[in-house]
Amino acid sequence: MSKPLIVEHLTKSYGPGSLAVDDVSFEVKQGEFVAIIGPSGAGKSTILRCINRMVEPSDGRILFEGNDISHVQGKKLRDARRRIGMIFQHYNLVYRLTVMQNVMHGRLGYMSTMDGILNRYKEEDKEKALKLLNKVGLLEYMYKRASELSGGQKQRVGIVRALMQEPSLLLCDEPIASLDPNSSKVIMDLIYELTKEWNISCIVNLHQVHVAKEYATRIIGIRQGKLVFDGPPSELTNVMIEEIYNTSMENLMINGEVRAVG
Amino acid sequence: MKDYFMSDVLVEQGGFLQGKEMKSRKIRINNPDNDRPINIFIGTAVILSIISIFMLNIDWIMLFSRVGELAGVFIELSQFNFTNFDLVAVAFMESVTVTLLATLYSLVGGLLMGAFMARNITPSKKLAGVLSSYNSFIRAVPTPIWVLLIIACLGFGPAPGIIGLSFHATAFFARAFSQAFEEVPQATIEALQATGANRIQIFFSAVLPASMTALIAWSAMRFEINFSESTILGMVGGGGIGYSIAASVTGYNFGRAGISILMVFVFAYCLEIMFTAIKRRMKA
Ligand SMILES: Nc1ncnc2c1ncn2[C@@H]1O[C@H](COP(=O)(O)OP(=O)(O)OP(=O)(O)O)[C@@H](O)[C@H]1O
Ligand SMILES: [Mg+2]
Repeated sequence: MSKPLIVEHLTKSYGPGSLAVDDVSFEVKQGEFVAIIGPSGAGKSTILRCINRMVEPSDGRILFEGNDISHVQGKKLRDARRRIGMIFQHYNLVYRLTVMQNVMHGRLGYMSTMDGILNRYKEEDKEKALKLLNKVGLLEYMYKRASELSGGQKQRVGIVRALMQEPSLLLCDEPIASLDPNSSKVIMDLIYELTKEWNISCIVNLHQVHVAKEYATRIIGIRQGKLVFDGPPSELTNVMIEEIYNTSMENLMINGEVRAVG
Repeated sequence: MKDYFMSDVLVEQGGFLQGKEMKSRKIRINNPDNDRPINIFIGTAVILSIISIFMLNIDWIMLFSRVGELAGVFIELSQFNFTNFDLVAVAFMESVTVTLLATLYSLVGGLLMGAFMARNITPSKKLAGVLSSYNSFIRAVPTPIWVLLIIACLGFGPAPGIIGLSFHATAFFARAFSQAFEEVPQATIEALQATGANRIQIFFSAVLPASMTALIAWSAMRFEINFSESTILGMVGGGGIGYSIAASVTGYNFGRAGISILMVFVFAYCLEIMFTAIKRRMKA
């Protein structure tokens, strides 16, 4: 199996004296579904954002599809980014625009500047967008303004926008942290099924350990910027969870959450 | 219940509360430090206005005794004189075209400069700073002065009016638009960066549409200002309806001045109605 993403000794410091990410290394195989868990402030978002260089790593290497992208700039960086989809906790759409316009933004990285300015999207790309919107159940909303959608619907637009990039890797930073349990399940199912269908590797930052255990083929545990666990969900024992979160199980609300969702 | 709560607070934070709030038995909910700049501002404004009233040395008694004459002026103005109305109409159209062109040129210039000035999307923070101070300078000098300076180079007529107005309006738009661009959430811009879109694409696909409501509101407002300024410019030699009004009044042709003023008023009023309607539709 090929390895589209290799993270080597990734280190990030936002200022002197503190390391947000401290010498983290891991690999992601094609089609793998990796969940990153860890307490608030552990560095999960920073790891994700270093991978597509929204944040500049201080040290270490990011190998994506065989290329070292830790220092590339300009066109090369954009070429790498367009193959890496990203999904955000707060969706980050252009809310004045329609669902369809937002979704088509996923194609900008493949277009000339002029075509982008004039919105000259290819018809085949638009057809693809319609198919995807249909798949996530938003076809009838295609001309609605993004601001008029519910949170779960906005996140589905975010998913389609990312998939329009034809990514080989999908980064999801707490995609369900602002959603109710029902929408959360819809979103996680969609991310899971669509990445599986197209054999896209996926890294998801999650706050809910039970969700990570349910979907992930592999779980990475981060504590204070350090990688403290990397293995299949079956190996993530309660002792390990306590170690990652540095507290005992009864303080973690995990059991309560499991009961609440079923 | 209340007593219980108060005593609770007292036990926990006694020192903090006793010093200030407990004396008056009232708990203040604002933070005086936040209000201080506002209080200073209001205080200074009041003092300055009082000083100005004395400085100006206005003869209030004469002012009030002459108010009656103002009505006389209005009556004279309302006796419209339609001889040579074609000249007034041409002058009015000249003012409208000056306004339109100046607004159009300054919109283009303002959008361009605003994009480079907005801190969140500028390719260079240094350039943003330079442009920003350049525009502050332009805006600090009133439009009529720019027009007079340009008249000094180009001579009288509508061209200096257009250039002078555009000068000022471009600086105004650059400032207003850059602020509108800066209000586009960083997260939205990042989302497009993450797709691999380049700077220019992000500007046209996300920043511009996201700030469109603000841009249109500013443009409408400035169009109104440009029109009223273009009439004033006529009086300093920029041609147009302003010149017609000034010339009529100095020549005691109040009838013609009246009709010119009425045209300005009707046009400005129509603009106002139109822009209000547009804004209402944009919000819907
Ligand atoms: N832009 C920034 N500037 C300075 N420090 C930052 C910045 N972003 C994050 N940090 C710091 O880096 C550390 C890791 O933050 P990060 O957002 O990666 O954590 P996280 O695991 O995603 O947390 P959460 O679960 O709350 O989202 C934190 O201590 C945070 O304060
Ligand atoms: Mg985070």
